[in-house]
Amino acid sequence: MSPEDQLNITKSVIIRNNSIYVDGNIIYEYFKNDNFLNDSYESLDNNYPKFYKMDVLGKLGMLATHLLLKDSDIENHLPSDVGIVLSNSNSSLDADIRYFDSVKSFPSPALFVYTLPNIVTGEISIRYKLKGENAFFISQQFDADWLHFYISHLFQNNKINACIGGWIESINSDHDVCLFLTERKESKNGINFTAENLNNINSLGDDVSNILP
Amino acid sequence: MSQKVYIAGVGIISAIGNNVGENLASLKDTKAGMQNMERLQSVHKDKLPVAEVSLSNEDLCSELKLPNHISRSALLSTVAAKEAISNSGINIHKWRTGFISATSVGGMDKTEDFFTEFMADHPNGDLKNVVNHECGAVTEITADHLGIRDFVTTVSTACSSSANSIFLAARLIRQGFLDVVVAGGTDSLTKFTLNGFNTLMILDSQYCQPFDENRRGLNLGEGAGYLVLVSEKVAEGMNQKPEIALSGWCNANDAHHQTASSPDGTGNFLAMKGALKKAGLKPADIDYINLHGTGTNNNDIAEGTAIKNLFEGNYPPVSSTKSFTGHTLGASGAIEAVYSVLAIREGLIFPNLRFETQMKEIPFAPVTELQHKTLKNVMSNSFGFGGNCSSLIFSKVIG
Repeated sequence: MSPEDQLNITKSVIIRNNSIYVDGNIIYEYFKNDNFLNDSYESLDNNYPKFYKMDVLGKLGMLATHLLLKDSDIENHLPSDVGIVLSNSNSSLDADIRYFDSVKSFPSPALFVYTLPNIVTGEISIRYKLKGENAFFISQQFDADWLHFYISHLFQNNKINACIGGWIESINSDHDVCLFLTERKESKNGINFTAENLNNINSLGDDVSNILP
Repeated sequence: MSQKVYIAGVGIISAIGNNVGENLASLKDTKAGMQNMERLQSVHKDKLPVAEVSLSNEDLCSELKLPNHISRSALLSTVAAKEAISNSGINIHKWRTGFISATSVGGMDKTEDFFTEFMADHPNGDLKNVVNHECGAVTEITADHLGIRDFVTTVSTACSSSANSIFLAARLIRQGFLDVVVAGGTDSLTKFTLNGFNTLMILDSQYCQPFDENRRGLNLGEGAGYLVLVSEKVAEGMNQKPEIALSGWCNANDAHHQTASSPDGTGNFLAMKGALKKAGLKPADIDYINLHGTGTNNNDIAEGTAIKNLFEGNYPPVSSTKSFTGHTLGASGAIEAVYSVLAIREGLIFPNLRFETQMKEIPFAPVTELQHKTLKNVMSNSFGFGGNCSSLIFSKVIG
């Protein structure tokens, strides 16, 4: 890869352990409650009514992508040049269980349409009008090597010029999100797109004591 | 100029017939395939009519000499693909031949058998029933049976799957990768699809009425359809050069909702417009549209609105043959592609059964009786969940 093709992580968003981080800095803290997703989304000055009917995975995707793309110049890319490569370990199990519970009384169409992991990919695509390559992988844990390999491959084959990538998980009201934006341009944080840096970004908030001064 | 891609043969199995001849006879005689469920075991047995293929798994296995744990999707696929090859008269082993098959269900039918046994008593679950669960496994079974090895792949894009497999075939031929491609799709009826569509509240408890003001939903069906697509070179060497070519195709997406089409049919419009452009045709050149026409409120208004906008003033005759076959999901694009080829070959426009009242939002109504007419260009629409919209155009080739 030539120097001008150097890929950089231009932004990252973590949602875990009662906190939301953007580029490593806490921007929102919450006490675990049922309204966290709605409250934080509203407090971040959002207006997308469809948000409220989404499953938890969809809401997490909306919230994290909003923060990831805020102040970015993603709209300068062609819709077909922005990829989305996501992963988690429980697929849409959270939505599956909620849907299955509804079957006992009346199968809910509104819950049923979220019983696939890549629905969150579709919701992000529709909200931000993105039409590039996308994939959703199931892996035991955040797999930096695989994400790095797959996303690099898309760039190298000129399939995309920017990519929303990472991990987005929800099960039993536990949230764990690590999304990052990969672009060809210089990053103000100077973080190169490497598997090691992905692991560093993802380690944030694993243990709260690590990030306290 | 890019070379043409010819249709050298067709094969089909559906609720209205086990081969091309039987399907054509049913279409002419207006014999629909829906009835109460016989083979599929479901709690909705007496409530939701379906369009089942009349042959049992045992019948299909003994005809094909395949073991009886094979998924019904693979059995239907193999019957129709074999017919298409034999109908073409081509020795597929002489050429670089591909097999592209679409399915949305894959081996789910057998997985459901496994699941029941497994949940009752874990050691009782027969793993033979799950090894072909994955969509590609079904394709492989048929490809092995046909002896096709040069290129084999599976397309799964919901209800536009097999339209997409057909035009992928055309692209591979035009780019010179393959000479002959057997392309189409298959789907068998399963509890999974029945319950899923029932959850979405889009199944009709009566026989469906596509493009009717008072439509209530769709009836699920099953079946398989395949075309043998060949290059100019293969076509030249045939005893009788094929008279029908795939002239246009397009896939578009309206990025609106997980399942529904946008109400104004943006994706549908783009797919039809793109296919016309590819074929170098104007809307007025289309002699008949074989509609996606599922009979759901959402599809028919989206498709109808898109046709209204694109064909303004030149509405061609339209009909939904799903009023015969039910909605065969991943197979529907190919089954209707076969009907579109037959429409040109036989000079027929098939009726849209059970139509009563024109939709108030659109200025045209579907054809309700069999019409004899010379057709040059026929459009076939296939619109899937997720806004995955495809249109194909088949054309009679002169000279």
